[in-house]
Amino acid sequence: MSQGRMIDAHAMLGEENHLRLEADELLRRMDANGIELALARPMGSELAVNHRAGNDRVTRSPSRIRGLVSVNPWFGQAALDELNRCRDLGAVGLFLHPSRQGFMPTEPIVDPIVGRASDFGWPIMLHTGTYIQSDILAVAELARRHPKTDFIAGFSGFTDMWFELPGVFGSVANLYMDCSMIWGVAIEEIVSLHGSSRVLFGGAEPRNRYSVVLKMIGRLKLSPEQLRDLVYNNAQRIYRLP
Amino acid sequence: MTVIDFHTHLDSNWFERPLIDRDSFIASMDRCGVDIACIFTLMGFYTDCPGANDRLAAHARAKPDRLVPFITVDPKLGAAAVEELERCLADPIFRGVKFHNWLQAVACSMVKETMLEVLRRSARAQLPLLFHDGTPPYSTTFQIADLARWVPEATIVLGHAGLADYVYPAGQLIRELPNLYACYCGPKVGDLRYLLEAGGAEKVLFGSDFGFGDWRMLAERMDDVYEAGLGPRELELVMGGNARRLLRLPESAAAQGRPRNAS
Repeated sequence: MSQGRMIDAHAMLGEENHLRLEADELLRRMDANGIELALARPMGSELAVNHRAGNDRVTRSPSRIRGLVSVNPWFGQAALDELNRCRDLGAVGLFLHPSRQGFMPTEPIVDPIVGRASDFGWPIMLHTGTYIQSDILAVAELARRHPKTDFIAGFSGFTDMWFELPGVFGSVANLYMDCSMIWGVAIEEIVSLHGSSRVLFGGAEPRNRYSVVLKMIGRLKLSPEQLRDLVYNNAQRIYRLP
Repeated sequence: MTVIDFHTHLDSNWFERPLIDRDSFIASMDRCGVDIACIFTLMGFYTDCPGANDRLAAHARAKPDRLVPFITVDPKLGAAAVEELERCLADPIFRGVKFHNWLQAVACSMVKETMLEVLRRSARAQLPLLFHDGTPPYSTTFQIADLARWVPEATIVLGHAGLADYVYPAGQLIRELPNLYACYCGPKVGDLRYLLEAGGAEKVLFGSDFGFGDWRMLAERMDDVYEAGLGPRELELVMGGNARRLLRLPESAAAQGRPRNAS
């Protein structure tokens, strides 16, 4: 598939159980698949507890990899201080994992973190699809409370929250879809119902592969303009990338 | 290489959503290079298991070289569920048993006596039992794996190899339990290598969940295997060899030479 310029809106760096990926290997995979830029977040211990190490990893990668940094909202002021440090390191967005980090998206501890990210103009991706804390509808509630901030449903509720997608994207205008793990029919349904401005291509490397996602995207019944929105325009716009 | 899809649904609808018919289903298999599909009900998880079983058997009789039906019973019905199992076991066209405890709204431990009977009788008939896994509260991977301990002579298949959030324990459990297998249906390329290393290539079977959507859903799930860079032996086992063994299909059971990896 050749869609011209492509931005991967969801890659993962570090190590988590059987998954591991270093920046140089991600770059190799990007080159092999024509990916211009990847937005990467930490995983494993660097997502759950060692945030500074994970944030250093994703922000100090080569320039074609931009950092989606993470903090645990339970750390309060220390988390806000870490976000300030990450801004100075060039981060472009925030990633939160309510299940791994142990909070409900609607809990008050989350609001200051969202507020700081909003001050920086950062979109916020939250993991969705794992029951209880990572309920996609809980993320939608958070997005309703902060209508001026863009939220991305990481993994788009993969798997068994997929049937919530049409309703949740219809009711929350500042919620975006991460296409890195979900199947093509779900993407087509969202585009047909809500347009192509809210879907983001992602590779979910190293769990998924660019080759798999790009084949899936290549089979979508979308116009060239819609495909360009998906693989490049939307990420470029909401992350304010050059 | 014979390709066997160990996890599909062939039904007329899922509530308000119409599903593809048998001819389209077979055409999709042809397009994607699938020789044989194990077919499960969908609406039969909610109501009228006997009717669902009869419809699946009719599909398989119409395409006996392509479709392998699995039995579904409602364990909440107790003795009636066991009777329905026996009715179907008397028909050799059925080669497996399928449960979806999440959709069937019952944990196996809530109906343990019935489930023990189902597991034992299926084991005596040498039929594998595939359970949806990866979804709380009734279908966690741990709940399903426990069934392999309840009846060690039964062959239990995790229907989604942990799905999204239970892949790591799925690998641990198929390594630990000799009668537990994983249907690679939902996890991604980065998970497949782990499952094979954890459990061995003989413990992982390809499945697609096809029946929802059109042929592209099947193609996507096949990409999840073909893009993993497996060696020839691993590929043959995952894509058909293991399923053939569990289903006790003869070597001559499948057509050969269909196209691969539709684009």
